[in-house]
Parts: sequence; C-alpha cells; structure tokens
Amino acid sequence: MAAKDDALRRIQELLGPGAIKADPEFRTGVSHIVACPKESLVAVMEIFNACGFYLESLTGLDFQDTLELVYHVNTYEPRARTAVRVLCPHDGEVPSLTGVFASAFWQEREAWEFYGVRFSGHPDLRHLLLPDDADFYPLRKDFGTVHAYRKREEVYG
Amino acid sequence: MAEQFPQPAQQQLYSLNLGPQHPSTHGVLRVLLTLDGEYILEADPIIGYGHRGHEKMGENRTYLQFMPNASRMDYLSGLLYNHGFCLAVEKLAGIEPPERAKYIRVICAELNRISSHLLWFGTFLMDLGAFTPFLYCFDDRENILDILDRVSGSRLTYSYCRFGGVARDVDDVFIEQTRAFIKRLRSRWPDYHNLVTKNVIFIHRVRDVGIIDKDLARRFGVTGPNLRAAGVAFDMRKVEPYEVYDRFDFEIPTGSKGDALDRYRVRLEEMEQSCRIIEQALDQMPDGPYRQERVRLKVKPPRGEVYFAFESARGQTAYYLVSDGSPYPYRVHVRVPSFGNLQCLTEVLKETLVADAIAILGSIDIVVPEIDR
Amino acid sequence: MMEAAATSGAYWLRLIVGLVIVLIFSQLNALFLVWLERKVAGHIQVRLGPMEVGPHGLLQTIVDGIKLVGKELITPARADRKLFVIAPVLVFMPVLVAFLVLPFGPKLIIRDMNVGLLLIFAFSTFSVLAILVGGWASNNKYALLGAIRSVAQAVAYEIPLLLSVMSVVLMVNSFRFSELVMAQQRVWFVFLQPVAALIYFICATAETNRAPFDIPEAESELVAGFHTEYSGMRFGLFFLAEYTNMFIVCAVATSLFFGGWHGPFGFSFKIPGVVWFLAKTYVLLYVLMWFRWTFPRVRFDQLMNFSWKVLIPLSMLNLVITALVLKLI
Repeated sequence: MAAKDDALRRIQELLGPGAIKADPEFRTGVSHIVACPKESLVAVMEIFNACGFYLESLTGLDFQDTLELVYHVNTYEPRARTAVRVLCPHDGEVPSLTGVFASAFWQEREAWEFYGVRFSGHPDLRHLLLPDDADFYPLRKDFGTVHAYRKREEVYG
Repeated sequence: MAEQFPQPAQQQLYSLNLGPQHPSTHGVLRVLLTLDGEYILEADPIIGYGHRGHEKMGENRTYLQFMPNASRMDYLSGLLYNHGFCLAVEKLAGIEPPERAKYIRVICAELNRISSHLLWFGTFLMDLGAFTPFLYCFDDRENILDILDRVSGSRLTYSYCRFGGVARDVDDVFIEQTRAFIKRLRSRWPDYHNLVTKNVIFIHRVRDVGIIDKDLARRFGVTGPNLRAAGVAFDMRKVEPYEVYDRFDFEIPTGSKGDALDRYRVRLEEMEQSCRIIEQALDQMPDGPYRQERVRLKVKPPRGEVYFAFESARGQTAYYLVSDGSPYPYRVHVRVPSFGNLQCLTEVLKETLVADAIAILGSIDIVVPEIDR
Repeated sequence: MMEAAATSGAYWLRLIVGLVIVLIFSQLNALFLVWLERKVAGHIQVRLGPMEVGPHGLLQTIVDGIKLVGKELITPARADRKLFVIAPVLVFMPVLVAFLVLPFGPKLIIRDMNVGLLLIFAFSTFSVLAILVGGWASNNKYALLGAIRSVAQAVAYEIPLLLSVMSVVLMVNSFRFSELVMAQQRVWFVFLQPVAALIYFICATAETNRAPFDIPEAESELVAGFHTEYSGMRFGLFFLAEYTNMFIVCAVATSLFFGGWHGPFGFSFKIPGVVWFLAKTYVLLYVLMWFRWTFPRVRFDQLMNFSWKVLIPLSMLNLVITALVLKLI
C-alpha cells in the first residue's frame, strides 16, 4: 500500500487533481487509472520506477478517432495495479520508456510493429514477432478481417 | 545493442546462432550470440517464428470461439490459461460459477501446474545431459494426463472450463485417481532428490549460474518462480486471490540468491505445495451443480474492460479484455510471463560461458509459443 | 604364444588364426555392446529398450548396421575430402591394434610384448588425432569446436591415466601384460591401489568420451559434436570405434586392477580364465553405461579443472607414495 499511495500522491502533484480515477472495488482489475498526456509519460513512469513498480504490460487500442496505449504497472503488493492511459494520433509518436524500464525495449517494439506507434528515443526499434520486412500493422482495424471499428466513446463512454 | 545485428569488431569475436532448430531450445527460439572464445558478450533472442496472430483472432471470434486459442498459447499450462480466460470473461460479464465448479477448476489447474513443472524438470535435466529423469517425469506426467483426459477429453490443450463452470462434472473415479496420484507423486520425491538434487555434478552446473536478482527481475518484469527464487514472495494466488485459493493453506516457496539452483528448488517445492492445495480442495469440495445454467453460449458482456491476472506455471499471466457490448471482444491482449523472463536473458547471458547458456535457458522455463502468440 | 623361438608354420598359423578371431570378436563385441547399451538405458529409464527384432531385440544392431551401410555417404561441399574420408578409418585403427596385447587368458595373448601396456596407450592417442582430423575436415564451426574440446579433454585426462597406471607398473616392474596379471594371483591390485583404480576409471570414462564427460559428442549442447557432418557407415565407424574403445579400457582395467583371468583370491572354481576376464570386463562396461544414464554432463571448464587441479596432483601423490613404500619394503 505504501508504495502505491506514495506514487499516486506524487503523480497527482505532477498532473493535477483530475488525472487519477480510483476504482476501490477493483472491478476492472486496476485500482487506479491515470490519464496521462504524452509529454508527461516519462515523468510519471519515473515516479513509478522510483517507488518499486514494474511495467507489467503495454497494450495498444485502435479506435477510429485515436490510438490509445494502456500501460499497466504493478508492484508486489496486493491490488496495487495502476493503468496509465495515453492517447496518441495514428502514426503519431510517443516518448520511449527504455530509459526507465528495461522491459520497455521489447514491449515497445511489439506495440510499434502491431500499431505503427513510433517510440521516440527507442534505440533499437525493429520487428519483434513479425518478419523483418513486414510493412503493415496487423492489429490496426484497417488490416485483415475486422469485426468492428469504433470510436473511443462508444467503448468507454 | 545499437546496431541491427552485432558485427564482430575484432577478429576474435564471432557470431553464433543458438537455434532455431536445436534440441535444447524450448519452442522455436533463436538466440544470436556474440562470442569471444567461450564467453558471451551479447545475446539477442530472436523470436516470432511461431507468431499465429492470436490477438487478431480474438477480435474476430466470439468469447466462446476464442476459448480453444487460450490453451494453444502456452500449451504446457493449457488448462491454467483456459481457466484464466474463463475467469476474465466471468469477471467482465458478471457471471458467478457455483462452488463445486470452482473447486473442480482449482484441482484441475493445480494438476496442470504439476504436469508443467514435471515436464520442465525433465527437459531441464536433459539439457544438462542427464537423460533418465526425463522419462521418470513423463511417467508421472502420464498419470495426470490420463486423469485430465478422462474428465475433459484432451491431454494437452484443454477447453474444459466454461463461462460459469466446467463442461462436465467429475465423478468418484476422478477423486480416487487424483488422490492415488498425489500419494504416488509424494513417494517419488526421494527418488528425484537422490538422483538429481544431491548430485554433485548437477549442483556444480547450476549453483551461482544465471543469477537474476530482485532488481533485475523488477526492471524486466520477471514473474513466477524466477522472481520467487530471487526472494520476492509474489504469487497471484496469494496476492490477488481468485476462485477459492484464499480458503487453502499453502506456502509460497522462495529462494535467496536467484541462481539456477534456487529456481530449481522453488519449482520442486511448488509441486509439493500444489499437492497440498489439491488435497485440501478434494476434502472441501461440495456437491451441487457444476455449471451455471443461465449463461448464454454467445456471451455478451457489457461495455467496459477487465484486466485479470492469475498465476500460470511460468509466472503472472493476464488477460486484458475490452468489450464494446457485442459478442465479439474489441481487444484481447494476453500478458505472458515468458516475455519478461526471456527478455532478461539479454542481460543475464552477458559475461557467461556458452556451456552455461543452455543451463540458464533451461532454468528460466520459457515456452516460446506464448511469447509469439 | 610367448617369445616365439622359431618361425615355424605353427607359429604363423596361430598368429593368423588369432588375428582372425580377434577381428571377429571385436566386431561382435561392438555389436553386442550397442545392444547392451540400449537395453541398459531402457531399463534404467523404466522402459524395455529394443524388443522387436530378434528375441529381446538382439538382432537390432545388425539390422541397424545394415541400414547404416545402405545410407548415402554425404561429404560437405567445402570439406577437405581426403581428410574427411580418412578420419573414421584412422579412429578405428588403433583400437584394433590394442587387441593384439590384451590378456584374454593365460595362453590367449596374441603377442605378449614386453611393452604391451605402453603399446595400447601409445596407439590410443591416434584416435584423438583422428577426432581432430574429422572435426577440422568437416568445415563446420560446431564440429571443429567439438573436436577441439575433445582434444583438450583427451590430453588433460591422459596424464592422470598414465600416472595411475604407472603406480601399478612400479609394483610389478614390467609393462608385459602376462606379468601384470600373474602378479595379482593372490590379491587384486584394486585392493592394494584403490586410489589408482579410481583415478584410472574416471580417466578412462573421459578418454572414451563417455558421460559425464561426453561434451565432444553431446547432442543437447551448443555444439553438436565432431561427427555432425558424418553420415552412413562413416558415422557407424566412429560409433563402433567408441564402443570398442570402451571395451579396451575396461579390459585394461580388468588386467591391471581386477586380476585379469584369475578368479577371486586365486580360486578359479574350474572356470577357464577367459570367462573370468570377459565377465569382469563386461561388469566394468555395465558400470560405464550406468554412469551415462545417471549423471548429467560436467561443464567443460569444470572438467578441465577437475583433471588439472585434482586428478593430476592426486595421481602424482599416489605414485610417489607407491615408490616410497616399495623402496622401504
């Protein structure tokens, strides 16, 4: 609890009051959601790193109007998982976290090759799972068979 | 690691491929090593040979249709992944399975965990050159596969759990066979310890080899027995208990140094703890329905998302499901433990001997298809 | 067959008959050992091993040999042709020579040379050379690494092997096999020289590239071994040479430490000496096979350290103590 509260307090100082939403019942598997602008991402993650968190997963979400990156960080306490959500335009750029978390090396390579999000500052952005000459972004909703392509508010309201 | 492929700068350095076709690599894995004689200077794991596009498939199938995909990712913990997926969807859709179903699922999941660890044990020792324990483990594992085959119909990739329960009920024969198996497995521990754990050659090959300490584990997101061997008692079954794990009395074995020997000991202890869980579950299992009847086949969860993390045989696995209100998920992302476990090798393998590389790779227990998805 | 005084017809006849018997015996022995290995492996691993071909799979090796002979002999494109072809032959030659001096029985030594023991060890170095030739000629990074390791291992373990054998030779004052065996009529040397026997057996395991010292031919290590590029009967020759080599080191162990053709404490129970000799050799071979299926592999640097830092000092110490004791008695 201590590490998580400490981290969230410092992030609140950094981003302002409205950025953090709490979910005390842990309904969606995270205890807090941080809506983070691209520019503050590295600073937020450095706070988490200093408080002993690890980068659990990096997911991309493709909507009609925007692309969203969801970073899940967690520490070794119960119910400490926090989601950091970053919006970025298609074919946009997001600062890289390779200077903060070592696991970001591969996580960001995967996110880039599937969604086309460039991570500025990543020293070695090349294909991880796809063949080296793949020039498409498979998990985008304009590639291959797609069931539904929605706007962000249709899913998250 | 700034260049695309590390070019040897001097005459003495050379590049060597470990894999992708090699009896040692667990799945189709290729590690590009830059060697100076016998010492590894850089190690770059190259994956993706088994990428099948499960996450893309997830967006084009209903939740029930995606269920077989879950086991195929980590085929050694197929039932654990299947179980986890059902739990994630149940959490998203608000389905509550009956008590009996929960106990059945926990028993089968722990049996699957034991079978995965047994296979790891056999292959790890085969990598080190001891061929016999592999067959002993497979002998034990056959019992588990027979038990699970009888109740679910599959030996390796299970789709036994359903949203709201399990596909079929278990009968007394299952309970008898499971109890007999636990007894038999416990009688095997002295054999394994005498043959392997006390063997001087084995100890010299794994002690102080491939040390993953707490800080390295945290930076790379290493979870599971690799993390516990470093001394962090982090197990999803205790930290975020799901199903009925909070009703059982079991311990989380930890190591201290984080070398391959600690990882070996932690996994062996975990098998014993799984036996304890199974025994308690068999004792506590109530009668009653094995499946919630009111669940539709085409589950339509409300809009929203869920991030459900559970403990698979290799570490912390999570399903991140985003639903847009239709029977088809908007996004299925699987957080797999082998991703971080393998990535930490880029640092662990530096300054080690080539002969140790095989031992280290074996000791971290990765299944490459789950990384590739 | 000792010191032939005359070049009589009988002498040459015995020589030729002996050679033919030895050739046949060595081939049959190799075939038998391959079968035995598979059966021992199977039973240790809770399974049966070959059962299909012949009663209990006895004819399995013959059938496998026929299959091997029928396989295509592939030579890698840029391999050194002459060396590549000659390596398997070179590895098989010295093991056959060793049969000339082994004391199968009191009158069953083909040529009881006064340097019999030395002959075996001198010729066994050839097989190391052959492995190096084979690994180099394959033009394969992995094979070369395997060959290099094999040479390093062989050189390192040859020294304590010879030192431990020297302790026995000091006691008997001769390299002649018949004298070495005759000296053990009452007490076997394994009781008088236990350390030397142990060191000899460990070094013999390493010399024949058997587990736990089988890195040069390990399948699951990074390097696949010096015989990667060999197919068909060329591979078969390497394989058979290894098993024949195993027989020779065990036969030498029997002669030097376990009494050769004598029964225990000199009582032979009317059983001919050759039966005792073969029985003891096969028991030692079984132990060698037992090692392989029980122990994991030793890491290469640990292997070298073990030889240079443990076995050599120990065997030297043993030699010095033996010399001292012999001087004082």
